[in-house]
Amino acid sequence: MNNTVTRRILLFVLLILVQVLILNHIHLFGYATPLLYVAFVLKTRRNFPRWAILLISFTLGAIIDLFSNTTGVAMGSLTLIGLIQPPLLEIFVPRDSAEDLEPSMKTLGVNKFIFFTILIVFIFCLCFFTLETFNFFNWIKWLECVGGSTVFTVVLILVLENMRKR
Amino acid sequence: MKNLLDFLARYNHWLLFIILEVASFVLLFQFNNYQGSVWFTSANAVSGKVFEISSHIEQFFALTKVNQELTQRNLQLEQQVQTLTNTLQQRASDSILLKSRQFQPLANYRLIPAKVVSNTVNRRDNFITIDKGAQDGIKKDMGVVSGNGVVGIVYLVSDHYSIILPVLNSQSNISCTIRGRGYFGYLHWTGGAIHLAYVDDIPRHAHFKLYDQVVTSGYSSVFPPGVIVGKILHVYNSSDGLSYRLNVKLSTDFANLRDVCVIDNTAMAERIRIMQAATDSIKEREE
Repeated sequence: MNNTVTRRILLFVLLILVQVLILNHIHLFGYATPLLYVAFVLKTRRNFPRWAILLISFTLGAIIDLFSNTTGVAMGSLTLIGLIQPPLLEIFVPRDSAEDLEPSMKTLGVNKFIFFTILIVFIFCLCFFTLETFNFFNWIKWLECVGGSTVFTVVLILVLENMRKR
Repeated sequence: MKNLLDFLARYNHWLLFIILEVASFVLLFQFNNYQGSVWFTSANAVSGKVFEISSHIEQFFALTKVNQELTQRNLQLEQQVQTLTNTLQQRASDSILLKSRQFQPLANYRLIPAKVVSNTVNRRDNFITIDKGAQDGIKKDMGVVSGNGVVGIVYLVSDHYSIILPVLNSQSNISCTIRGRGYFGYLHWTGGAIHLAYVDDIPRHAHFKLYDQVVTSGYSSVFPPGVIVGKILHVYNSSDGLSYRLNVKLSTDFANLRDVCVIDNTAMAERIRIMQAATDSIKEREE
């Protein structure tokens, strides 16, 4: 128990540092920025208290905002992800699986996990870039940002997941 | 009442969700008007420190490039000084008067060197964070320049860090003029390419050539006159047809900004204020 909590906290700090110091500076083709920190909420265990997920995702979003000068944007969209992650996960878990299962390629199966990741990341990117471009709406740029970042983030999460599996 | 409590107990996460979302939306929409929001941006101490460490490391790898640029700029300036002194000596016979006049305007400004710790160029409203703040004498609305030209204006100040509103921000509005021609206009940026900006409100009767240099006008107390902004690439008519709109190639490379200088104009403001006080007191005595 204690071990998992420490690991989660370490992962929390690590994800923030990686996002703020490295990933925020990547703009592939001018629009695709990987938003890796969503993986932290995505990997929350089944039956984790829902208020705790909401508070954690809100805090994570707030810290990311603080570092990238996008006050409120990551906060709002990540809180939404914290709300929809448990019901979405329920759809994907196989029957008679552990009560506190952690979503991963092993527990969900490769196909289901990929689909789950795409869904979560897509909803997150959609919210994030909609909020970010609120006062300056440019359809093409918005679509490019949502699409590019979704693909980039999903690929990154899957690659990391695959490396961990071995 | 019991029903209500049951309802809240069962759906407490919805309630929490709504509270958190409202909080983030309030922050999102109020940030631009809320001057005291230093805490929620990268001007606060914790994030400033992290960015400072990371930029120290990055700086080390950029040193060669910076050195090259500085040497180039130095050569250019030396040449310029040479030609200018030559022309001046030809024109004026009294060299002592000349020297005392030359250094007068610069004496009013103090330059505070600062390092960029965080910078964006890919949004419509970009911000730059620097590692000097109120304790180093920086105040809101001071001008910021780099070795290559104008950068922006100080927007938010905390104790050790401050945020700059650079030219690459839709809210930026810097008064500038065409060197040697005198007509002035306002520098705006409309998003997109980070080396192109527009100067609006140049009058229709103005005479100038393409590739003329655009410099700050010095009409406000933010920038001294003559800081380089860029050079004219194209001339368009403004949408109402009453003035020209100049497409300007910015001389500052915002994507590669490390060292900047904040222009402290308090000395000049102070001088004006004390002059004012002196004239006022004399008037009182006369009456």
